[in-house]
Amino acid sequence: MAPHLAGSPSLSSSSVARLPLRSQGTIAASASHHCSVATQDRRAAIEGSGICYSVTTRQGRTVPILKDCSLSVPTGQLWMLLGPNGCGKSTLLKVLAGLLNPTHGSVCVNKPKSFVFQNPDHQVVMPTVEADVAFGLGKFNLSSDAVRSGVSKALDAVGMLKYSQRPIQTLSGGQKQRVAIAGALAEACKVLLLDELTTFLDEHDQLGVIKAVKNCVSSPGEVSALWVTHRLEELKYADGVIYMEDGRIVMHGDVSAAVSFLKEKQARYLNHLDL
Amino acid sequence: MSSSTLLYPSFLSSLNPNPNALRFSHSSIFDPSRLIFAGFPKLGAIVVKKRTPLNCFAAQQPHNEGTPSKGWESWIRHGAISPERILRVIAGATSSPICQFIESPRTLLHSVDPRIKLIWLLALVILPARSNIYIRFGLVGYLSILSISVLPTQIWMDQLGRVALLSGILFVMLGFGTDSVPALLQSRTPPPSLIGLPDIPSSLSGYSYLIMKLGPLQLTRKGLSLASTSACLSFTIFQSASLCLTTTTPEQLASALRWFMVPFTVLRVPVAEIILTLLLSLRFINLVFDEVRNAALGIVARRINWKQLTVMESLDVFFMYTHRIFKNIFNHAEQISKAMIARGFRGDSAKHKIYFFHDSSNGFINILSLFCLFGLICAAVLLERTFI
Repeated sequence: MAPHLAGSPSLSSSSVARLPLRSQGTIAASASHHCSVATQDRRAAIEGSGICYSVTTRQGRTVPILKDCSLSVPTGQLWMLLGPNGCGKSTLLKVLAGLLNPTHGSVCVNKPKSFVFQNPDHQVVMPTVEADVAFGLGKFNLSSDAVRSGVSKALDAVGMLKYSQRPIQTLSGGQKQRVAIAGALAEACKVLLLDELTTFLDEHDQLGVIKAVKNCVSSPGEVSALWVTHRLEELKYADGVIYMEDGRIVMHGDVSAAVSFLKEKQARYLNHLDL
Repeated sequence: MSSSTLLYPSFLSSLNPNPNALRFSHSSIFDPSRLIFAGFPKLGAIVVKKRTPLNCFAAQQPHNEGTPSKGWESWIRHGAISPERILRVIAGATSSPICQFIESPRTLLHSVDPRIKLIWLLALVILPARSNIYIRFGLVGYLSILSISVLPTQIWMDQLGRVALLSGILFVMLGFGTDSVPALLQSRTPPPSLIGLPDIPSSLSGYSYLIMKLGPLQLTRKGLSLASTSACLSFTIFQSASLCLTTTTPEQLASALRWFMVPFTVLRVPVAEIILTLLLSLRFINLVFDEVRNAALGIVARRINWKQLTVMESLDVFFMYTHRIFKNIFNHAEQISKAMIARGFRGDSAKHKIYFFHDSSNGFINILSLFCLFGLICAAVLLERTFI
């Protein structure tokens, strides 16, 4: 197993959160590596170091998608992953979820973990709402009452309890997204990996969902979340921010540092336009 | 003479629905001065002489000249089957499958155990095929009354309307079609009057094989039996399935099916896999509907001028449309399989528990529905024995 950031005293999760990532240096592993940690004695819930991911085209050309990405999300915090379209945010999230194997680098994520896709039609697999929320619990050996209780709580958290028996095809895009989130919340996981959850939601639903996730993170269970978004107004709910560009992590820090970084970036852009 | 305006013969007008639009603008290899357009037998007089550019316009033929002014094309409503119209119909269709579960208002049927509903479904398939005509029509009446009393007005009108139309067509066609052409198809035996034998004596009890005669059509006992069986069977199958689907969630149906299939696990039937596949299929149906609709909407939104496309180009668009639908569906399937993995499914259906919630079942209503089913079967058996 490659050394991870939390293992080093000088690179503790709190210091990682404050410093720009480039100053930390990278710890590249010679081979791809995934590990999942079920214990809670580590301070970082999500860790990745030197993550590279590339795809090979039909012509045999290797196209790098992720380039030497290192990140650390502490336990019990909600972090946002920002960046322009096509910069590799969703790919990084899929690598962290274990859906893609990195070409290089190592990944350590606490277990159990849940991943919510950008398109709810890809996430929702059962024909009715309550059955879909309960689907993720199928891997545990739970009693029907426990499942029912978990499903009801999760649906209540996203304001969908009254739709529990509705067929999925009768729901709107936003409602489907909330069902997908409820499915993740019902699993009582330690890590939530959320890919542009609020894309299909209006302002009211957006607020409802983000508060539901924030409540989940703030609960005593020490749940951590990494949230991919384009909506900067959601930053006020975040504990930390990671900014990506062209497959690289160019900023990794707290919200104030991220706001300064974005303002600086905006100013540079305006200067470039001579406005 | 470079161009001519001609009175067109009727056979040419029959090739084009709009004769005014017919125009030859390419070079002609014949001399139009030799043409006599009074009627097409004279066209045999066409003599190839020299290349002369010809623009040929068809003048509108008066409708009152006695000659047929409209050809077969006039029978087809203009634009009724244009690609634009077809795609618009597809794009505007609902994404919801027919007879989907209706959560509210909750009815008595919502409270019946899904296993009992499946037994009822089986009974309603077997009984119309095996029982007396009175039972058949009784079942149709019973299902109609049940639908009207249980379902919201719009739903039962829609469902019963469609099923009644289908069954009605079947009844009329089979009833009158079974024995209406016997001379051509059946009998080669000469009638009794020709061979000198006396006619078969008529029934003393008033029995008559022929029930009704409408010109060349006749309704016989055989026709009535066949028509009533087919029509009632169609009605009961479609309507009972509709009633069941509108009052039962897909998960409840799957759980009932699993209950019946569990004994087959002894024979190594992959019951868990079948049930999971069934549930995924039920989820996937509306995704397919969505894909078909969205792809059609995408083509309609591009406002293709179909009139400018050749037949091959139009077919090409339709092939692209089909290709896109399949590509998107396979993409969906891939993404859903990824989501299942992300949600903890490891490929073994037996190890991944599917939870079914049964809070809607009511003991009294279950017993009542079983009692009714038993009564119906007894009545069918008794009537069958009585009439035999």
